[in-house]
Amino acid sequence: MLCDDCKKHPATIFFKEVLPDRTVELHLCEQCAAKRGLISTKKMSPLEVMHKLLKEKDARDAEIICPVCYLSLAEFKRSGRFGCSHCINAFDPHIKELIKKIHHSDKHIGRKSASGRKRSIEIYWLRKELKKALEQEAYEEAARIRDRLKDYGVEDIG
Amino acid sequence: MALKILDNIRWLTPANKENQGEHPEIVVSSRIRLARNIDTIPFEMKMKNKDARHLLELTQSAIKQRLQGKFYEIKKLTPLEKESLLECHLISPGFIKKDSPTGVFINDKRNISVMINEEDHLRIQGLSGGLNLINLSEKVFDVEEVFGDELGYAFNENYGFLTSCPTNLGTGLRASVILHLPGLVFTNEVDKVLKGALQIGIAVRGIYGEGSEIKGSLFQISNQYTLGLKEEDLIEQIRKLIHMIIDIELKARDVILKKAHYEFEDKVFRSLGVLKSARIISSDEVLNLLSALRFGIGMGIIKDISLDLVNELLIVSRPANIQLYYGMVLEEHERDIRRAEYIRNRLNNPGAN
Ligand SMILES: [Zn+2]
Repeated sequence: MLCDDCKKHPATIFFKEVLPDRTVELHLCEQCAAKRGLISTKKMSPLEVMHKLLKEKDARDAEIICPVCYLSLAEFKRSGRFGCSHCINAFDPHIKELIKKIHHSDKHIGRKSASGRKRSIEIYWLRKELKKALEQEAYEEAARIRDRLKDYGVEDIG
Repeated sequence: MALKILDNIRWLTPANKENQGEHPEIVVSSRIRLARNIDTIPFEMKMKNKDARHLLELTQSAIKQRLQGKFYEIKKLTPLEKESLLECHLISPGFIKKDSPTGVFINDKRNISVMINEEDHLRIQGLSGGLNLINLSEKVFDVEEVFGDELGYAFNENYGFLTSCPTNLGTGLRASVILHLPGLVFTNEVDKVLKGALQIGIAVRGIYGEGSEIKGSLFQISNQYTLGLKEEDLIEQIRKLIHMIIDIELKARDVILKKAHYEFEDKVFRSLGVLKSARIISSDEVLNLLSALRFGIGMGIIKDISLDLVNELLIVSRPANIQLYYGMVLEEHERDIRRAEYIRNRLNNPGAN
């Protein structure tokens, strides 16, 4: 069967639409179906969807600001990048739709982050404190910090 | 002349059983990447130099205590080494260009790399030959858990792992697979497959080419959405699609064998002939000739050359890698001569290294 529109290419796409007074059947080739807007030949990537939606600006965007990193919603819309782990909460009501349109979902159901012992962070700050204690010649304090570092299994402490 | 050793490229992933997944005759490689950020450090957009230093120190401390492998500070590497990391797919193109302090961790088995201070604080990725996504994801999550435990990730109950760009929110997981599809290219079915994939949120694109030009019949397939699906379901979706494409590709190859057996056999052996004899060869030409060779091995036309060797030739003949392999900086013309020499040596002594 040839395409109803161009009558040249084989019809590969069939449409059946039930209207109040009649039923319309269409047999189209891919190109003609695309011309009628019945199928999209190219789907936008998530990144393209995001950049398109970020163009929708609001006068108050500059006033909505992340309390931790001071990124404004206006800046976020310019760059499409968050400034810190708190931005998403600060902007949440305004970007919920955006996220939903990018991913076709607005709810994470995957793995969760373990709370983490954050030992490397602890060790980092202990090392800083130790350096400071040694500079100030506070040797008792330094010994105390060294013991704590040893508890973390850190041996190479100057 | 004595053959140079491959160890000159310090991070080249060795070909071994562990790095060999299913259907290596069609699936060139599998990759799983996770985007993660540290809760207490500003993201790239708001990051100052001191924050980047802090991030590098923290990750190095975590690596030292819990992981086996090497850490490289990117700015301490030569331009050639940086390019080579890129050619080995261990870092991303944008990563080299960053001014702020960056580093890469590569594990001892050289199948996991962690980019530190890319667009996200951590980009943890696993690489393997063949279709190997499930096995690979286990390895990647082992490393992911170490950094999470040591440093604490930015995470939100609703949106999952928080990332610099909203397109990576949720699982932060991107699974991508490189496929070699000469059959589909020959039977003109590539477009059909691509459209079907897009409908379920999976992107397919030709690789190594500029713009829309597809070289060496190589295609990359990856998930587009990262939020709203479990990690294992994301991977399963890709796996299913790949198996479907493999089936179509195998059928197309049957068609080729029936319709144009001698033409293809001729093309395969001519390609091998050029690779074994050429004195000057560009990396683009190598890519196309290896495509024919890979096809010949997959079809059983060529039996004495392994796919592992084809994969090695593909990576080592890239411009920076060939220079590291010979341990010298080479101009383009010299590079083409050395590349031809290296390929000749490898194909005429496949057992040697
Ligand atoms: Zn913020």
